[in-house]
Amino acid sequence: MSIMEYNGGSVVAMRGKKCVAIAGDLRLGNRNMSLAANFEKVFPITQKLYVGLPGLATDVLTLRDTFRFRTNMYKLKEGREIEPNTFAHLVSSTLYERRWSPYFVEPVVAGLDPNNSEPFIAATDLIGCLNFAKDFVVSGTASDKMFGMAESLWEPDLEAEDLFETVSQTLLNGVDRDALSGWGAVVHLITPEKIITRSLKSRMD
Amino acid sequence: MSFSPYTQNGGTILAIAGKDFCVVAGDTRQSEGFSIQSRYETKVWRLNEKATIAANGFAADCKQLVKRVKWRLETYKHAHNREMPLKSIARMVQTMLYGKRFFPFYSYVIIGGIDDDGTGAVYGFDPVGSYERETCRAAGAAQSLLQPFLDNQIYFRNQQPADPTNPPIPGTLPLDNVLAIVTDSFTGATERHIEVGDALEMYVVTNSNCDLGALQQITQSATKTDLEQVAREEAEFNGPKSCKTFKLLRQLKKD
Amino acid sequence: MNAFANELNGARGIDAALHDDFEGGSGGMPTLQLPNTADPTGFLREYTDEQNDPSCRIKINHGTTTLAFKYKGGVIVAVDSRATAGSYVASGTVKKVIEINPYLLGTMAGGAADCQYWETYLGIQCRLHELRNRERISVAAASKYLSNITYSYKGKGLSMGTMICGWDKGGPAIWYVDSDGSRTSGNVFSVGSGSTFAYGVLDQGYSYELSDDEALELGRRSIYAAGHRDAYSGNTINLYIVKETGWTHKGTIDISELHYGDWKPKNENEFRAPSEPYGYDIRHGTE
Repeated sequence: MSIMEYNGGSVVAMRGKKCVAIAGDLRLGNRNMSLAANFEKVFPITQKLYVGLPGLATDVLTLRDTFRFRTNMYKLKEGREIEPNTFAHLVSSTLYERRWSPYFVEPVVAGLDPNNSEPFIAATDLIGCLNFAKDFVVSGTASDKMFGMAESLWEPDLEAEDLFETVSQTLLNGVDRDALSGWGAVVHLITPEKIITRSLKSRMD
Repeated sequence: MSFSPYTQNGGTILAIAGKDFCVVAGDTRQSEGFSIQSRYETKVWRLNEKATIAANGFAADCKQLVKRVKWRLETYKHAHNREMPLKSIARMVQTMLYGKRFFPFYSYVIIGGIDDDGTGAVYGFDPVGSYERETCRAAGAAQSLLQPFLDNQIYFRNQQPADPTNPPIPGTLPLDNVLAIVTDSFTGATERHIEVGDALEMYVVTNSNCDLGALQQITQSATKTDLEQVAREEAEFNGPKSCKTFKLLRQLKKD
Repeated sequence: MNAFANELNGARGIDAALHDDFEGGSGGMPTLQLPNTADPTGFLREYTDEQNDPSCRIKINHGTTTLAFKYKGGVIVAVDSRATAGSYVASGTVKKVIEINPYLLGTMAGGAADCQYWETYLGIQCRLHELRNRERISVAAASKYLSNITYSYKGKGLSMGTMICGWDKGGPAIWYVDSDGSRTSGNVFSVGSGSTFAYGVLDQGYSYELSDDEALELGRRSIYAAGHRDAYSGNTINLYIVKETGWTHKGTIDISELHYGDWKPKNENEFRAPSEPYGYDIRHGTE
């Protein structure tokens, strides 16, 4: 078993029309044994920017704190919130610093550009290779399953509530075919006006 | 150097049962590593008027297995003067796969067709012969991409029924609906899996009650799909009540 | 006449030869083809053993929770229905109880094909025993039949952990048989990756004096616990009870519906719904 699968967990993000959605499961496991159903792996960075960190749980927490520290420092120096694209590069360089002893996490970034509300999503591998997708990104132990779902369900310019349904169905049906993901899910829907966060009722086995 | 008699030839197969039909589909790309060996090598074969088989994995093992299955079916036909029923074919394939338990056929098999009671049926196997009757099953390289989508669309998983007193029943979708789901599944898998693509063969096994209008319809849709009746002479010989098998061919992306 | 028959037996045509590799010779045990190498077992492990190599190409379905226990009213058998290949849930509808005959059940853990094939084969042999001896085979004899098979294949790569459960002249019986050749009888067994989770609930609630309903509830609750905690177990529960009159299937029960308290029996044969949801209220409270 790979170290990336030690704790399990998955994240998906999708672009819609003037909105983005990012969703993650809630499982924390120890190989086959599920330990907790409240392990959130999607974290807010700014008012309109979230990061999802599926992978090795210890590194998830370390990176969450690292990103909080670095984005706070950015805000103090620059006097403004970090933009999604800038943050994606921060994620990338933070991971590449550990090129030869990486964090076992493959982050997903989702947010709206604070200037023009342009939706932004990106994903990287565990050493920070960026993938700026125009449609959707997936990561974690259920990534292949969610790719199949998203490729069939997603379409361009979805309105916020339709995007919510699409991202939820992608996550739920994806993690139900993955032994190491699931045990609950949380969806964050980011629109220019507000953030909507919803917990999904999912299979608990 | 150790004895290495297997290779992986990519591709994906899929079968969905309906009330009076069964769709068995597979892409036609055959690859080895990053090389494409063929853009048109079939993974789906008609066995008899009520059964169609799809086999995926190591192409040589798959072909050998199907060859042996066909041979056994021919022998059975001459010995018993009838076609072997679908459930018997399934049990026979189990014994054939398990017969090589210690030197397995590297072959994921799905059998689709019309069962004794006239309904569509799918039997899914693992390489050493464990099997189960199901409503739908995907196997092969893009299995993990397709199956969650089928869970959602065929088994209605994670969906709230519009009318809770009358929830939809898996395995009762009409043919046009099922064909659309199969096509969408494969176009999706083609986008995200390098071993899937080139063309899609959909075998439609129908019983005599099946409404064939959907087949004509799909050939007239925007994306060109070729329709052909497999073993037409045999179906005509067996009379109007016979089960007809149709083959639909649709192009997939080739990159 | 005999000479002619013998000649036919001796000169085996292409038909017999082709049948050979999956059906074996005349009447005896099936013969299974071996790879033509110095180390056939090592060969099999190289291509099929997930513990040895997670990227191995031929994935054989694994992962399970099964349990069976004796109590004063008979035997309860309960299993989950998930099959996994690596972390992929290959199936959520596996029948892990093999109905050998109306009085005998076998459970499935380990290799799905090994259990399915050999327990079906056991069913054939049990029927032949009935025809030859004009009485049903005992559970002990049936299980020994199976353990003789697994012992004869010891070290060759079979993978099974099974409980042969039934009712014979001596009353209710459970025999545990596995692919190492072990064969043990006992009152309470659980087998599979989720067995430790099931034992936790099962041992805590077990008593020989349980009523039928209490025993069925205990079996169902134990598999639920395993389905909940063990990543490689889950989806649905198949529940059986064995009485003097043979076994009865008491339902296929969705674990998610048990968790949220949505499950209802679909007919009068199925076991009653639990009095409260197993999981949701306990974990989330009603505020």
